[in-house]
Amino acid sequence: MNAAERRWIRADLRARRGQAILTVLAVAGIVTALITAATLLEDGTNPWRGLFARGNGAHVWVHTKDAPDPALLRSLDGVADIAGPYRSAPATFALGGKKAPVALQEMSPVLPAVGRPIVRDGRWLDAADPAGVVVERSFARASGLRAGGAFPVVGLDGRTHALTVAGLAESGDQGFYPEWTPGLAWILPGTLDQVEPKIARSESVVGLRLADPDDTALVAQHAITKLAGQVQRVTTWREVEASMELDNRLLGVLLALFGVAGLVAAALAIANATGGRVLTQRRDIATLKSLGFTRRQVARMLLAEHGALGLAGIVAGVLCGRLVTAYALADTVAVPLSPVPLLAIAFGAAAMVVVAVWLPAWRGGGTPPLPAAPVAPPRGHLSRLARLALLVRLPPALVLGARDAFTRRLPAFLTTFGVAVPMMMITIGLGCWATLDAFQRHPERVGQAAPLLARPGAVPATSAGQVALADPDVLAAYPGSEVDALVPGQTRTVRARALGSVTDPYPFSVVEGRLFRDRGEAVAGQGLLDLLHVQVGDVIRVTVGGTPVIVRIVGRVLEPEQDGEVLSVPLDGLAAKDALPPQYHALVLRPGADLAAVRTRLQSQGLEVSYVVNPADRLVVIRVIIVALVVVLALIGAANLLTASAVGLRDHALDLAVLKAMGLTPRQVMATLVTGTGLLVVLGAGAGAVAGALLSSGLIDLQGAASGMGAGIGRAPAPLTLLLAVLTAVGAALLIALIPARRAARARIPVTPR
Amino acid sequence: MTTASEAGQPAIRTVNLVKIYQTGGLPVPAVRGVDLRVEPGEFVAVMGPSGSGKSTLVHMLGGLDTRTSGEIWVEGRRVDTLNESAWAVLRRQQIGFVFQFFNLVDNMTVADNVELPALLAGTTPRHARERREYLLGELGLADKADSAPAQLSGGEQQRVALARALANQPRVLLADEPTGNLDSRNTRDVLRLLGEVHRQGQTIVLVTHDGRVAGLADRVVTLLDGQIVDDGAVAPRRRTRGGAGDVVELRS
Repeated sequence: MNAAERRWIRADLRARRGQAILTVLAVAGIVTALITAATLLEDGTNPWRGLFARGNGAHVWVHTKDAPDPALLRSLDGVADIAGPYRSAPATFALGGKKAPVALQEMSPVLPAVGRPIVRDGRWLDAADPAGVVVERSFARASGLRAGGAFPVVGLDGRTHALTVAGLAESGDQGFYPEWTPGLAWILPGTLDQVEPKIARSESVVGLRLADPDDTALVAQHAITKLAGQVQRVTTWREVEASMELDNRLLGVLLALFGVAGLVAAALAIANATGGRVLTQRRDIATLKSLGFTRRQVARMLLAEHGALGLAGIVAGVLCGRLVTAYALADTVAVPLSPVPLLAIAFGAAAMVVVAVWLPAWRGGGTPPLPAAPVAPPRGHLSRLARLALLVRLPPALVLGARDAFTRRLPAFLTTFGVAVPMMMITIGLGCWATLDAFQRHPERVGQAAPLLARPGAVPATSAGQVALADPDVLAAYPGSEVDALVPGQTRTVRARALGSVTDPYPFSVVEGRLFRDRGEAVAGQGLLDLLHVQVGDVIRVTVGGTPVIVRIVGRVLEPEQDGEVLSVPLDGLAAKDALPPQYHALVLRPGADLAAVRTRLQSQGLEVSYVVNPADRLVVIRVIIVALVVVLALIGAANLLTASAVGLRDHALDLAVLKAMGLTPRQVMATLVTGTGLLVVLGAGAGAVAGALLSSGLIDLQGAASGMGAGIGRAPAPLTLLLAVLTAVGAALLIALIPARRAARARIPVTPR
Repeated sequence: MTTASEAGQPAIRTVNLVKIYQTGGLPVPAVRGVDLRVEPGEFVAVMGPSGSGKSTLVHMLGGLDTRTSGEIWVEGRRVDTLNESAWAVLRRQQIGFVFQFFNLVDNMTVADNVELPALLAGTTPRHARERREYLLGELGLADKADSAPAQLSGGEQQRVALARALANQPRVLLADEPTGNLDSRNTRDVLRLLGEVHRQGQTIVLVTHDGRVAGLADRVVTLLDGQIVDDGAVAPRRRTRGGAGDVVELRS
């Protein structure tokens, strides 16, 4: 690049620092939001990464009969460090009639360097409290354990030991309970000796941390060979990761949608800013060309200047994203975004910047080299409507401003569009918000009429229903069972849920067709329909619990579980051996009932009660993203508006003198300018809100269908919210337009151009 | 180029130059068949009433506007067939422009404005700075180097524009109404400077509709409706230059 080009770029950037900073901020904001969102998504769907990194986990865990020689394992090729060996003994956790197998693993009061459990609640093991154990959190949650609570265990010899829960900890070294059994509890070596005195009945566990995780299979194989005959089983990080991974397609696709739309909005902002700047600079560019700048040089210069701003924004955004995830979200996120999505975001944004800048830069390069030729402001005359408006004494500023707004068609369209797109995105964001609200306030409309599930526990299975119904807050208890069903043409099973009966069906949220009325009928979620390529009304053959059954799918329900791959039938539609006694009762509560209180009461009756997880609870992170995106989109809208105001002022530099000469007061001149911009903003915000409202429920439904839950979940934002959003946008826009207009109206306007 | 001019080539030559604008589908002829020959070192004033095509002519000579037909030769080289980029390169090396409205780049300082053409032509920043210091010193603007153009008076801006036009020591200086937007005092200053560079051997083509300004030239070409109606030397009037200046002085 030529020294002259560089000097011009430097001078131009210096002359419009504020605008340049705003462009950088807008891009940085978008990139930060994308990186934060992607990091949260990655962390949310793959909790193993964070746990493993925090706990400095071991890649391979080897379970052996006797304690192996640590030096032997440490000397293996590719092993960086080892954890243990720890002694681990099986026992039974028994509390309130509930029994669960648990592995007691010894650990010292000092946390080890490798394979550290991460204490989340309470405290770590303490030599002063030999009865205290630390329980793995997912197991504790499933068993209703809290720090400070009792943890009675029965050893293999039948003796009960009254241990207490000192703390809860997470670990990346084994999967979550109940997918990964038995439950895990860490215990002091001395206490373990008391619970299980016989070494022969316990095993030894040793963790290997590898220098290169890719060598896992090889190192595991070497370890097995070295410990010939001793090895009972080996688990690797890949199995743990796979067992922890959530299939959260809904979240992923929503984020991708937001990401793409955010990038488009940013591209629009940059294209608008560049285009506006080039338009206001036509005279300078013409001068440069008369001095001997070629078309290519001018285009390259503009591309470099505006592209550099965008790239600076991307770099700042990447840094900001890293800082935000490292500091602001330090509690939730342990590991920064992995390189692939990071690079995808950075390069996607860079490509978008270059494309957005290229067109206005190329057009700027084509400016004719005749600086004297004035850029003719488009001529227009007052329309009949305008004359009529003046006749009925509408304020002249309003009429003149309205006329100005549309004299330059393309910029007017770009401004309107530049406001409409962010507004549409904001509306869609509000729609997502409203959908989440609907999930939480009315779970019965998304297929979760029953917030609690009661399992018999200590109560005889046949009378569990009566016990539950005896509670004043329980309105209904639907007996249910869940069995695996084998469907033709599939190698895996789907879930068949028998819930309610033909005469007293569970209140499913049927969005298509009807509920089952007979024993041979069933309803299914979108996921199952997609999996089997069937539609409502089709007859399918499934094998439920070994019994072939032919059912007609008579309706589609909203199915938040199992990606919608659930077939729901009446309980009396199943063979008696599968149906009786029912595994659980789904409890529908009186509106306004306190879930926790009901649960505690029923627990004390001997029932085992668990909460039904609301899908919205898993999507809480989306709310954070929505807020962040609204901020970024507002920033983009503001950048667009500033450009529009600058272009408008340039067009009006001459008009202003004329208007003043005609006797308009500065206030009227200002009002004219603000009306010119404001009208376009009102149009854009209105159009964006309407488009967003129309699109949002459709988009969310589309998304719902893709995630298997099924269309019918989408909610448009409430009209009041929408109105408020539009008013805020217009108000903010008018304020933004007011500042330059005020300055222009007060300024001494030269009568001749320069 | 030096060899070409030494061989008696004119600095600028046009052959039957025609420019027709299309305005709303109607052809509007601005220049109709102009044959002009400007010798190296000559100072030619192009006069004529408004709309006579004099600005269009000088714009075509500098490649700012394209010709409809005819030929343009600069230093013995045919240039009307050049494309836009080649014209740009030609302008940066051999042609300097001065406009009525100065057309300084507002964002840049006076110093940057003057150094820009030199840098564009590939001069080192140090040489560009030395040339700028020399030119601004000659034009009495040395202390304004770091000012923004908007802080300068019209006359000062036009002198900066002149310095910028001369930065690359062009073969030809094209000036389009350089005093059209100045008061008499500044007009006199700018004309004095033009006279000085002309005495140093600069070829100048100057468009004006002011007879007193044209009186400074070696030769006055008068255009009317896009055609040359008069072309003659004004050597005797050059001696009365001081007289004309006095008249201006009296009126102001």
